[in-house]
Amino acid sequence: MKKRTEKKEKKEKKKLTKNLIRTNISLYLMMAPVLILIIIFCYVPMYGIVIAFQDYFPGNPFIGEGVKWVGLKYFKRFVQSEYFFRLLRNSIVLSLYNLIFGFTAPIAFAILMDQIKALKFKKLVQTASYMPYFISTVVVAGMVISFVDKDGLISNALSVLGLPNQNWRIIPQAFPVIYTVTNVWKGFGFGSILYFSTISSIDQGLYESAKIDGANRWQQVTNITLPGLKRIIMIQLIMAVGSVLSSNTELILLLYNANIYEVSDVIGTYSYRLGIVGGQYSYTAAAGLFMSVIAFTLTFIANKVSNRVTGYGLW
Amino acid sequence: MVREEARSEVSRKKKKRKYFREGNRYATILMYVIAVLIIFVTIYPMYYVLILSLSEPTAAATMHVYVIPKGFSLQAYNILIKDMELWRAYRNTILYVSATTVLMLITCVLVAYPLTCKELVGRKYLNMFLLIPMYFGGGMIPTFLLILRLGLYDSPLSQIIPCCFSIWYIILVKSYFSSIPEELRDAAKIDGAGIWMVLFRIYIPMSKAILAVIAVYTIVSVWNSWYGAMLYLPHTEWQPLQLYLRRVLVEMTRTVSQMSVEQAKEQAMRALSNAQMKYAMIIFTTLPVLCVYPFLQKYFVKGVMLGSLKE
Repeated sequence: MKKRTEKKEKKEKKKLTKNLIRTNISLYLMMAPVLILIIIFCYVPMYGIVIAFQDYFPGNPFIGEGVKWVGLKYFKRFVQSEYFFRLLRNSIVLSLYNLIFGFTAPIAFAILMDQIKALKFKKLVQTASYMPYFISTVVVAGMVISFVDKDGLISNALSVLGLPNQNWRIIPQAFPVIYTVTNVWKGFGFGSILYFSTISSIDQGLYESAKIDGANRWQQVTNITLPGLKRIIMIQLIMAVGSVLSSNTELILLLYNANIYEVSDVIGTYSYRLGIVGGQYSYTAAAGLFMSVIAFTLTFIANKVSNRVTGYGLW
Repeated sequence: MVREEARSEVSRKKKKRKYFREGNRYATILMYVIAVLIIFVTIYPMYYVLILSLSEPTAAATMHVYVIPKGFSLQAYNILIKDMELWRAYRNTILYVSATTVLMLITCVLVAYPLTCKELVGRKYLNMFLLIPMYFGGGMIPTFLLILRLGLYDSPLSQIIPCCFSIWYIILVKSYFSSIPEELRDAAKIDGAGIWMVLFRIYIPMSKAILAVIAVYTIVSVWNSWYGAMLYLPHTEWQPLQLYLRRVLVEMTRTVSQMSVEQAKEQAMRALSNAQMKYAMIIFTTLPVLCVYPFLQKYFVKGVMLGSLKE
């Protein structure tokens, strides 16, 4: 009697494992096409970075025999070239502008909107502020180029203020300003959504009791709203530091021109010109990798500092 | 009657007080002024482009049109709609948008569903497999070489296959799927439903909200993308709308005069309105997006919230 139940149990178990295997096979079959896509388009390029250590020409193999390993040759060449400093400086300058204006604008905007109590009006302002996000970068760049051209909308407005009416697009000093304003204009509304939702999750009772204690509006913002946003701001800030070296390549590619390479060239545009257009694959891969390593180190440091100082971090 | 009026007067006053939160009245007014300025700054550039595109070509050429169109002319649009290259670019973009969006939804669902099954062996490793590419990538050059090697260069597929999946969206869908009670799946299984049946009859209908968010994000990002096309599509035949716009608006290599075969008088006219053509083109290609975006707005807001949960 006992034996029989044991046998039965064994049989059941076998059936279960068989079922399990069958389900697993069908589940994996379901995922297979996408997993293959991920391997091809995410993992293979990761391995492709090895060409930075090789003398790679299209058609050459980059695995196995026939690979010309050159070690750090291209890294050395990049660091010693005048471009390294220029790219580093431009990226940092543009990112700093972006950090000062582009990072704070959504926060300020969200706090301002929180103060406005007329709901319909508030909705209208928010809807208007998201709009630039939906306009493509190409169209935005096209508008900017036409506006800052001689006799364009912005050049005209500036000439009223006493500045020369000229094509500002070819003036090196103007580029960081044009780039930053465009970036802020395009992104501040959409960037503020995150802060809106965080502010709306702050306990309204805090404001009520602050009012009873006689706190004015400004004090409420600095003592309740900002501390409520602290965590999300820190996380965003760490991510911003991590992307200090990766400026908005798409926008720069559209806005810049040979006259202002000196102030507008960043690693993305440089690799595009030399790598994709110029065919120097190994060299630009090395340059890109080097910049990524710096960026990763920066994120790491920023995270560590933030953890130590505020207690928040990405990891 | 009089009493009623008095009452409505009082309620109006109360309403007014609600708009102005207690505190310094001047500060409040200042905030409203700033808000109005923000509306102006975001909307006016687009409005300016619109009124220039509708003005008389001669007025548009001087660019001194600020409040309402000077005169009224649809000439720019008339020339524009005869441009076959624009229509071809439009067709390409619509093709890329629809194909990528459909594939994106399919790929998301196909990976997200198995990852929520307890029976799946190796779930931990699969999660790691998905997380790594979110932090590390090959960068522009190796990806470009890969596309070359795969033979996707100069092919419309280069605009669809590499961007028809997103690990980020897969993770979003997965976390949405895991909020669906497992009892539903178990009950369906007892009734004899296979995994495909469960996925299509239960999971997908219950996740319409998140799938809509992903679809909307994909549509807008593909509609606006141009960088991938610039890298991989050297010939105009398959180039999308944004790349066509780039040639006209940014590089200014393509003038409108290649379009119709009419004579000298029109030539002069065209030179005059070349600037106007650009504005008409901006309106013509951006209007579809701007018209639908107020209705899609809530999906975008939802998307940001979902994204922030995972951070």
